[in-house]
Amino acid sequence: MKNVFKSIMFMIILFFLIIIITYFLLPRDSVRKYGIIKTSVYEILGEKEDSIDAVVIGDSLIYSGISPMEIWHNFGITVFDLAKSAELISSSYKNFEMAIKSQHPKLIFFEGNVLYRESKNKPWFYVWEELYKTYFPITKYHNNWKKYLFTNLNDSMNYSKINIYKGFKYITKSKPGKKLDYMKEKEKIEVPKENQEYFHKIYELCQKNNVKLVLISTPNMKSWNYGKYLGTKDLALKYNLEYIDLNINNPLNIDWKTESRDAGSHLNYKGALKLSQFIGKYLKETNLFTDKREDSNYASWNEAYDIYKEGLK
Amino acid sequence: MSYFDVIYFLAFLPGVIIIYNLLPKKIKPFILLLASFAFFFTYSKWLIIFILLSSLSIYLAGLTMQKIDSEKKEAIKDLEIDEKKIIKAKYLNKKKIVLIITALFNVAFLFYFKYLGFFKGIINSILKLFNINGSLKIIHHLAPIGISFYTLSAISYLIDVYHEKYECENNYFKILLYLVFFPTLVEGPITRYNEVRDTLFAGNKTTYKSFCFGYQRILYGLFKKIVIADRLNIFVKIIFTDYMHFSGPIIFLGAIFYTILLYMEFSGTMDIVIGSAEIFGIIIPENFKQPFFSKNISEFWSRWHITLGLWFKDYIFYPVSLSKGVKKITSKIKELFGPRTSSLFMGAIALFAVWSLNGLWHGAGYQFLFFGYYHFILILLGNIFEPLIIKICHKLKINRENILYKLMRIIKTCLLIFIGELFFRANNLTSGIEMMKRIITNFTFKGFNHSVLTLGLDIKDYIIITLSLIFILVISILKEKNIEVRESLSKKHIVIRWACYYALILSIIVFGAYGEGYVPVEPIYADF
Repeated sequence: MKNVFKSIMFMIILFFLIIIITYFLLPRDSVRKYGIIKTSVYEILGEKEDSIDAVVIGDSLIYSGISPMEIWHNFGITVFDLAKSAELISSSYKNFEMAIKSQHPKLIFFEGNVLYRESKNKPWFYVWEELYKTYFPITKYHNNWKKYLFTNLNDSMNYSKINIYKGFKYITKSKPGKKLDYMKEKEKIEVPKENQEYFHKIYELCQKNNVKLVLISTPNMKSWNYGKYLGTKDLALKYNLEYIDLNINNPLNIDWKTESRDAGSHLNYKGALKLSQFIGKYLKETNLFTDKREDSNYASWNEAYDIYKEGLK
Repeated sequence: MSYFDVIYFLAFLPGVIIIYNLLPKKIKPFILLLASFAFFFTYSKWLIIFILLSSLSIYLAGLTMQKIDSEKKEAIKDLEIDEKKIIKAKYLNKKKIVLIITALFNVAFLFYFKYLGFFKGIINSILKLFNINGSLKIIHHLAPIGISFYTLSAISYLIDVYHEKYECENNYFKILLYLVFFPTLVEGPITRYNEVRDTLFAGNKTTYKSFCFGYQRILYGLFKKIVIADRLNIFVKIIFTDYMHFSGPIIFLGAIFYTILLYMEFSGTMDIVIGSAEIFGIIIPENFKQPFFSKNISEFWSRWHITLGLWFKDYIFYPVSLSKGVKKITSKIKELFGPRTSSLFMGAIALFAVWSLNGLWHGAGYQFLFFGYYHFILILLGNIFEPLIIKICHKLKINRENILYKLMRIIKTCLLIFIGELFFRANNLTSGIEMMKRIITNFTFKGFNHSVLTLGLDIKDYIIITLSLIFILVISILKEKNIEVRESLSKKHIVIRWACYYALILSIIVFGAYGEGYVPVEPIYADF
C-alpha cells in the first residue's frame, strides 16, 4: 500500500513539474525560432482577421503553382496557399480547422494530389499524436528551451510572422518534363478509404461555415494520372462539387520543357503565372469577390506586392 | 512499434505488465508469448510463420537428438569398450545429420531474406566480367523482424543440445517464447537457452523493486537514444550523404559522432530490452560493458555486442580452431616454425572465419565484409606484435599499468574503431574509401568552426551533447568500478532519489531531439 501511495505521489509531482515547465516553454510568437515551423500553415494566422477571400489547400504543387500575389495584382482578390510539402489529408483537415477560426473564406480549392497520399501510420497514430500534443504541448514545443527558458512569461501569443508570398514559393529553375502521355486512359483509382473519411470532415467543415468547396487537380505529370482523375471525379459527383481538372489536354498550355522545375512534378514560376492567372480569373467569374486593390484596409497587400515584385529576378 | 515509441513504454509494456500480473503463475509465460506475437505482428505481420517454423524445427531436432542419445545409451549398455566406441560414433553421426539439416534449414531462411540479393549481385558481376549474357534478377524481400538474432539463438540451442550441454526442451511453447520474446526480438541480445530458461518461464511476479529498476533502466536507454543519438543523427546524416563537400576533420568528426550515435542507439536499446525483461523478473545477459574503455581491439569486441562475440567464439572460433584440418596444418607448422607461429596460425584461420561471418552478419554488402576484415587484421596484428611491444616497454622501462599509458592505448583503440565505423556507416565501400581519402588528403581546419555550427547542430546542441556524454561517462566509470548505480541510488534519501528520476525524465522530454526538425535514428541493429 505504501508503495502504491508513493507511486501515485511520484506521478502527481511529475505531472505538476511538466505543467510548470510547459508554461516556460510554450511559444509566444509564430516565427520559426519558437518551434513553429510549418510556416505557411501558421502564417495564415498572421493575416488580418477575415481578410482572406479564398484558400487553396494542398501540398507542394500548390505552393509551387499558385502565387496569391499575382492574383492580387491582377484581380484584387486575396488568396492564401495553405500548403505544406508532402501534406497528408489528416494535416490538411487540422490546418484548415485552425485557419477557419480567424478567416472566413468564401471559397476553398482542394488539390486532388493530397487525396491520394497515404500515410505510413495507422489512423489511430494521428489520434494519439493529436491527444498528446494537445494535452502535453511540451512535446511539441520542448525545443524552445533553446530560445527562451526564462524570458517574459506574461507575453501573450503573437502571430507576428506575415508571409508576403502568402504561402507561395518562388522557384525559377527549370527541368523539362518528358512524360507527355501521362494522362492516357487507364482504370479508375479509388481515393483511399481513410482519406475519403478526412475529405468528408473537410466537406462538413465547409458546409458548417458556408464555404464553397471546389476540387482541383493542378498540372502535374509525375504523380497525377487518368485513374486518379476518374477517382476524384467520382468523389466530386458524390458530394455534388465542382471539379476542375487542369491536366487532360493541357488546358493551361503548360510548356513542360520550360515551365516545370523538376521534370514535370512541380511548376516553376513561369508555370505558376499561368495557373495563378487561371485561378484569379475563375474566382473573379464566381462574382463572390470584390476587387480590393483600392481598399485602404488592404494596403498591406499592395505593400507586400511591391516587395514581392522586387524579389522576382 | 519500436522500443522508443511512446506507445511501447507508456501503453504496450504497462498493458502487458498489468495482464501478466493479474493472471496465475502458470499462465504468465503464455501472456508473454501472446504479447510477443502481437509485438512481432506490428513489424512483420504474417512473416511470423518463419519464426514458428524455426522454433518448430529446433524443437523437433532437440527431441530427435535426445531420442538418439537414449537409444545410444540403450545400445551400448553391455558392450565392450571397443564396440561401444563404434556404436557411439554411429549414433553421433545420426545426431550430426539432424544437427546439420536443422541448422541449414534455419540458415536457409536467413540466406534467402538477407543474402540472396547480394550473392546474385556477385554472380551477375562475374557473368559480366566474362562477357556472358544474362543476369539473375535481384528481388528484395522484406525479412521477418529479428531474423539475424533469433536464427543465431536457434542454432546455439541446437549445438548445445547436440553437445549435451543441457537437456532438450520438451515443451514447444517454451522454445517459441525463447525465440520470440518481445524485448529481445528486434535487436537481441543473442541469448542462450540455458541462460534465460530459469527466469523466462518462471512466471515471476513484478515486484515494486523490479518495476522501478526496470523503468529506471528504460529511462536511461531513452536518454541515450533520444537526447544524444537522435541529436547527433542530424550531423551524421549530412556528413555521410554529402561527404565530398567537407574537409577531412569534419568527415572524421562525422565518424566519431556516428560511433557515439551507434553506441547510444544500440546500448540504449539494450537498456530498454534488459529493463523491460527485468520488470517480469527475467534476467537477460548484458550486451555492453563500457566498450570505449578498451585498450585494444580484441578487448573492444569482448565489451561491444558481447553476446554476438561470444556466439562466434563458441560456435565458430573454437570449432574451426579445433577442427581436424586446422589441427593437422598447425601441427606441421609447429614442427617447422615452432609453437608460437603455429598457435598464431591456428588463431588466424579461426579469426578469419569469425570476422568473415561477423562482417556478413552485419549486412550483405562489401563494406560490411571490409568492416569484418579490417577488425580481423587489427586483431591479428595485435596478436603478432604484442610480445614485441611488451619487450620494448620493458626495455624502455615503460610501466604498462601506468594510467597515462593505459589512456594512450584507449585513445588508440578508439581511433581505430572510429575508422572501422566510418566504413560501416558509409553508403558503400567506394564511399568509405573516398571518405578516408578526403580525411588524409584534405586535412585542413580552415572553416572548421563555421562548418561545425552550420550542419544542423548549434552551440546549445553541443552543450547538451557534452553534458549528456559527461553524465554517461560518470555512470560508465561507476559501472567499471562495479558500483551498481541503481542500487546505490535506491539507498539515498527519497528527495535525492526522486530529484534524480525527475531530472532524467524531464531532460528526456525537454532536451530530447524529437518532433519537428528531427529525424530519429532508425533502429540500426534491427536491420541486421
